[in-house]
Amino acid sequence: MSKQHKQKNLTEEFIDVDDEIQTNTQQTGYAWEEEYKRSWDVLQEDEDGSLKRTVENLQQRKRKRLFRDTATIRRGIIRHMFLIIDLSEAMMEKDLRPSRLDLTLSYAEQFILEYFDQNPISQLAIIVTKGGYAEKISDLTGNPMDNIRALKNKKNTDTDGEPSLQNSLEMARSTLIHVPSHGSREILIIMGSLTTCDPGDIYDTIDNLVNENIRVSVVGLAAEVQICKLMCKKTKGTYGVVLNEAHFKDLLFEIIPPPPVSNTQNKAELVIMGFPSSVSDSSPSLCACHSKPTIGGYICARCHSKICDLPTDCPVCELTLVSSPHLARSYHHLFPINNFVEVPWNNNSVSPTHCFSCQIPFPSFLGVRGGAVPIETSGRYKCNRCQQHFCIDCDVFVHEVIHNCPGCLAAIH
Amino acid sequence: MNALKDAATVNEDDANLLVLIIDTNPLIWTRLAKSTGLSLKEALQHLMVFINAHLALKHDNEVAVIASHVDVRLSEDTDQTINSNMYQRFKVVNDQVINNMKELFEDLSKLNSYPEKASSMIAGALSMSLCYINRIMRADEIGHIKPRIFITSVSPDSPYQYISIMNCIFSAQKLGIPIDVCKVHGEDAVFLQQAAHITGGRYLKLPIPQGFLQFLMITFLPDRFTRNYQCLPGEEKVDFGAACFCHKRIIDIGYVCSVCLSTSVNEGGLRVVNGIKKLDKSKGRESGGST
Repeated sequence: MSKQHKQKNLTEEFIDVDDEIQTNTQQTGYAWEEEYKRSWDVLQEDEDGSLKRTVENLQQRKRKRLFRDTATIRRGIIRHMFLIIDLSEAMMEKDLRPSRLDLTLSYAEQFILEYFDQNPISQLAIIVTKGGYAEKISDLTGNPMDNIRALKNKKNTDTDGEPSLQNSLEMARSTLIHVPSHGSREILIIMGSLTTCDPGDIYDTIDNLVNENIRVSVVGLAAEVQICKLMCKKTKGTYGVVLNEAHFKDLLFEIIPPPPVSNTQNKAELVIMGFPSSVSDSSPSLCACHSKPTIGGYICARCHSKICDLPTDCPVCELTLVSSPHLARSYHHLFPINNFVEVPWNNNSVSPTHCFSCQIPFPSFLGVRGGAVPIETSGRYKCNRCQQHFCIDCDVFVHEVIHNCPGCLAAIH
Repeated sequence: MNALKDAATVNEDDANLLVLIIDTNPLIWTRLAKSTGLSLKEALQHLMVFINAHLALKHDNEVAVIASHVDVRLSEDTDQTINSNMYQRFKVVNDQVINNMKELFEDLSKLNSYPEKASSMIAGALSMSLCYINRIMRADEIGHIKPRIFITSVSPDSPYQYISIMNCIFSAQKLGIPIDVCKVHGEDAVFLQQAAHITGGRYLKLPIPQGFLQFLMITFLPDRFTRNYQCLPGEEKVDFGAACFCHKRIIDIGYVCSVCLSTSVNEGGLRVVNGIKKLDKSKGRESGGST
């Protein structure tokens, strides 16, 4: 397998001779060098000799505003995903703190919670790969706790030998081909090793994955590997190699919003679902899912067996059971709100003095014009529908958390 | 849908931020005053006492008031009035709330132009309060301030606000902000019932509107820490059933479209829902909602 070494942060304390050569051949330099490039040039005092405004401005630029695609597109709301975690010896490396394995496990847990938060009627399963074989540690399930419990089990997470990409892909594929066509089929691999130990030709496996419409995304912890890149490209997934701990999380969490699907890929179908009613008995009775006595629970709409938690598949009649808020949770993916536009300084003569939603005062235009430092951004962001102005914090908060424009909802249109 | 487990996160000496959303829908309040004798003015007097009681509980307690009107809302941000004198602070808060309310109602010309069934902009008020809480929480780095939202509602649910209200509920749940609801009058507001249930707040429908103050002081005054040790009134059971989009009937087993998540009774509903989807994707769904 061909490998292409990507530059990464060295953890050694001393300066290596190789360092110099590497920086010369690659123009970009280290990631940390980029961030702190001549930061003292930007720093200037204003007329009162204070640095406050400049610092604020710097912070504002650092804060990223995500621009999302706001067109109404079809998304695969009902997802089926296999999370493949590499448990080879390469995962014991300490280049990510505290170690690749510990970080992967803690991020995987956060990933699972967030995945089910945003995709409540989707399913997830986990496969680990070590010592040249693959092992399924949890089946496709709609319950986040089942997956997390499997991950927490120490028996499932000790490392050994080399991973097997092909074995784990084939194992995921054998389950995913039985998934109904209305749901998406996805595989996410967290790969620490640069090598894999495969029993056959992995290109055949990749062709099979393409034929079955299975999307494979890979997060690499070490360096770019050609076979992963090729696989992701062919199956229309994403491939990223982590730079540092925060970037690892970013790459992982990019997978969480439901992906767009093409109209030809899967047709709209009606899925039968049950909306169970909740019960609270005076005396405990056995639940069908864990066979434990519980007081409260939900009654399956078809077979009347008692289950503990929603959403799930009924263990008796296999009906998908959800409640209406679970469906509502996905709506914001279907109706994204428009991006706000930045308001330039020159048309601020009549603009409001406070942020519409949080009432924080905006920096005043006159104060800035008189000052020595020209500030590039006005700190105001406007919704084009309701024409209200918002501060950057509210802009980010509205688009990332609430998914509602407070201005548009405040008046009848 | 796990209700919030507050015990571990809330401390006895935490400051409390109360964001009070007052539903000032004038049409409903007029009707309410005629039928039960509780006018908006009286209700506001009760709420003033409640706000003052909240501020008096702890010296660093804060309050923000948002009016959810038929089409305008204003927010009275009172946390800047830091004053060592307690009584002074009561006065500042009361004056500010009353003056802003007056301004809101002085614009009488608009009142007649409202459509007959106009509803209160609860979704907008909720979004605004979440933004405001977000700002306060960001400024408070040590996590000393514990926010909660309290809605006094009189208007019925508006199906058009279903998606936006649900979005607010889920963000509040994520941020760990309980939403308390006091339904002063009228039918149970199902959306707000879900809001209280999902976020771990209390939902209470007033049996006697005249006893507004009593219920405010007993049920809604205790802060998040005290609540762990109290058994407060309010309904436990919430109906999360779904209504089909074609007949608006509550269903047990239904068919859900895999693309747009609209619900229908039988497979014949496919044509109905898809027909709407082709014509107007967003309207087809928004008018649906669930109960």
